[in-house]
Amino acid sequence: MSAEPYKVADINLAAFGRKEIQLAEHEMPGLMATRAEYAASQPLRGARITGSLHMTIQTAVLIETLVALGAQVRWASCNIFSTQDHAAAAVAVGPDGTADNPKGIPVFAWKGETLEEYWWCTEQALTWPDGAAPNMILDDGGDATLFVHKGAEYEAAGAVPSPAEGDSEEWLVILDRLRNSLADNPGKWTKAVAEIKGVTEETTTGVHRLYEMAKSGSLKFPAINVNDSVTKSKFDNKYGCRHSLVDGINRGTDVLIGGKVALVCGYGDVGKGCAESLRGQGARVIITEIDPICALQAAMDGYQVATIEDVIDQVDIFVTTTGNKDIITADHMAKMKHQAIVGNIGHFDNEIDMAGLTATPGIKRVNVKPQVDEWTFPDGHTIIVLSEGRLLNLGNATGHPSFVMSNSFTNQVMAQIEIFTKPEEYPIGVYTLPKHLDEKVARLHLDALGVKLTVLTKEQADYIGVPVEGPYKPDHYRY
Amino acid sequence: MKGDNVRDARRRQRSAPGLAELGEGRIRYSERMMPLLAALRSRFSADKPFDGLTVAACLHVTAETAVLVRVLRAGGARVRLAASNPLSTQDDIAAALAARDGVEVFARAGADRDTYYGHIALALGACADGTGDGPDLVLDDGGDLVAALHTMAPQAVLDRVRGGCEGTTTGVLRLRRMAAEGTLAFPMIAASDTPVTRIMDNTHGTAQSVIDGLLRASGVLLAGKTVVVAGFGACGAGIAESARALGARVVITEVDAVRALDAVLRGFRVLPIADAAPLGEVFITATGSAEVITGEHLAVMRDGAILANAGHFDVEIDVRALSAMAVAVDTDVRPHADAYRLADGRRLLLLAEGRVVNLVAADGHPPEVMDLAFGIEALALRWLAASAEFAGGAEKLPPGVHPVPGDIDAEAARLVLNALGARLDTLTEAQQAYLASWRLGS
Repeated sequence: MSAEPYKVADINLAAFGRKEIQLAEHEMPGLMATRAEYAASQPLRGARITGSLHMTIQTAVLIETLVALGAQVRWASCNIFSTQDHAAAAVAVGPDGTADNPKGIPVFAWKGETLEEYWWCTEQALTWPDGAAPNMILDDGGDATLFVHKGAEYEAAGAVPSPAEGDSEEWLVILDRLRNSLADNPGKWTKAVAEIKGVTEETTTGVHRLYEMAKSGSLKFPAINVNDSVTKSKFDNKYGCRHSLVDGINRGTDVLIGGKVALVCGYGDVGKGCAESLRGQGARVIITEIDPICALQAAMDGYQVATIEDVIDQVDIFVTTTGNKDIITADHMAKMKHQAIVGNIGHFDNEIDMAGLTATPGIKRVNVKPQVDEWTFPDGHTIIVLSEGRLLNLGNATGHPSFVMSNSFTNQVMAQIEIFTKPEEYPIGVYTLPKHLDEKVARLHLDALGVKLTVLTKEQADYIGVPVEGPYKPDHYRY
Repeated sequence: MKGDNVRDARRRQRSAPGLAELGEGRIRYSERMMPLLAALRSRFSADKPFDGLTVAACLHVTAETAVLVRVLRAGGARVRLAASNPLSTQDDIAAALAARDGVEVFARAGADRDTYYGHIALALGACADGTGDGPDLVLDDGGDLVAALHTMAPQAVLDRVRGGCEGTTTGVLRLRRMAAEGTLAFPMIAASDTPVTRIMDNTHGTAQSVIDGLLRASGVLLAGKTVVVAGFGACGAGIAESARALGARVVITEVDAVRALDAVLRGFRVLPIADAAPLGEVFITATGSAEVITGEHLAVMRDGAILANAGHFDVEIDVRALSAMAVAVDTDVRPHADAYRLADGRRLLLLAEGRVVNLVAADGHPPEVMDLAFGIEALALRWLAASAEFAGGAEKLPPGVHPVPGDIDAEAARLVLNALGARLDTLTEAQQAYLASWRLGS
């Protein structure tokens, strides 16, 4: 594979994308303040960042922040449905270019990719001109990290393994792509792994993958777990989903949520935000949970907590949020109410058993509109599945709004600066950003909301044993 | 003494206050939160709209009621007050009113049935021989006073009454039934029927004070509990939202399809009471109906279930059936909470003997709410007193149930908003013209 300049759905959407980017900049004070702070010092000069993160308007502002700080960037989306085509076009064209003469960054993303196209885009983002390699990864879900690790692993083994029984369709695509890569460009991934100073990971699921790799000793470079910055997971995961879940359900189905019964599988940060917004719209929300602490929180917040089997025939709207797999099975879907709506907001699409649904004897699928399918069972009842079980807030709507993404992405930029400028402080492992940076991200977003902070007196600060300027809480504090 | 704080020193100086002193302190405290009644007291002191008139009032004897009574006195009225519930009287308030204002108070917490009706008769000033100084105006809450006038009082007393106000939904419904029968002998204003009273009193007042009574009597944690609210009218809706806000899972029971639809769209589960009975951990009745929770329902309830009534009368929970089922009753396990022990060992906790829990186990609605509710009644009474001047003229209201006249509702709301410093927009001339014309369209 050679490094292409860019590939988007329609470069002529760039002007529209640019307008929305400008509006988003106003809503993203953290990123804009970071640009101002580092404009002179350019801490990311020399960085070659491969990004694998939903290619939305908000991500465009992140990308252009990284560029403003001196970085070179190649970008792919981390989901086949989450790209906003006008955002991708605007990023390819850049603030100073035109559709005929793009001057932006290499971006490979469009809404509605096939799995083959998705991994082609990912590999393109990882492939730099003139045989160079990325030296930073900015990941969301860990696909870019996975690709380089597996590439290096198979190069070391001398071959890509043959497909095995039970391998998913997606895994077969990955193996295929790596097989071609090993043939055309041996050593590419071994070199990349050596060059890459580190990865900054955005989401719970991706972070989980990193901890597993660190535990097994297979992690090849340090990682910053951006998800577990408080200003990311307690805000993006919760308030972002609180906004974008019902946005996706509304745009996808236009169903009246008031008066319906909704099942939210999982009561973590994401489940909490989802449950609150469904309840706020007047649904009666039931929760499923495997964790007794989260389950007790749900009960005390006034939700019924039941097993999915207990309520399967009562629920109108199903939402999976667990980060786990096989939450809603084909068997469950066969027993659902007629026209029940089934959607997922977790990062990967294995929470709902789409393969099992597809394999159900006699099942028929009718596409209603993009990312909305009606599936008819032999007994005549139907269910509506959103975004083929992929995350519906990005598939059926535009993901989280700018303000909350400014929180998350400011953390991402700080994490990139940390590893790129101080790699010696980060031996291989998984790290979180220090609390004073977390608090800094929060501070950058207060003025826009008219928040006036009270300031500790020196006496008060001493009384509780913190600096006047913070950090104000011990690491174990949970907010 | 060294190391003392000011409060300790004062406490030592003061001797134990008498009942009237205690009541006086509480009346003054509530008064400060009742700007509408304060404004009316000034106005009435000047105009003396009730000069020479006797008002018989049957109300819950609370601090807020005392503030209302003093407003009527300031307006020149002679006031006779009886309690509208045998358990809700606050004795210190009754003592304070009797001591200072020359108000004749016939009320005591824990009155038996005979005493209760005896008090009402005394408030009517009726004597067995037909003499006695009956009322010119009546202020009722639940309809017991007006019913007594029509069934027990001598004709002369009934004939003298020019009209009055009724303050609660149950009472208004009773009056409408009397009027439909042709029995109601004088005009009664349905003060509880105004939008402002429905919002402030029925919904927000009840939302807070019923939960207050429930918590003071039972001490139960509402978060995570299944709470059954019978009735989703103005009161039930407020109680349900309050309970939900505290983390309870609320189930509604309803007979009215429209109210049930509202409940469902707000995310509440709606079940028949027979299905809710085995699920509920707390039951609160707010229907205004009778026999909502019966022996059949009590028989399947969970051990430890708590029963409370928020309706005006104690007919919603079948207390007689509960007593019949019980093998023993532990009274006052906490103040206002009786534990009924059933044969199979289950215990059901009945609060306030099934009587209106917010007034028996707590202090009723907050002062701000009663300021508006009572302010509207005081204005309505004044209107009645004024219109009665023109006895032979066009202003006289015929017997029957009447809405709050004119824009008393809006005037009360404006006076309160004024006191709160809230500012309203007024319609521009162009807007007024637009709203008055049908010709302006697309």
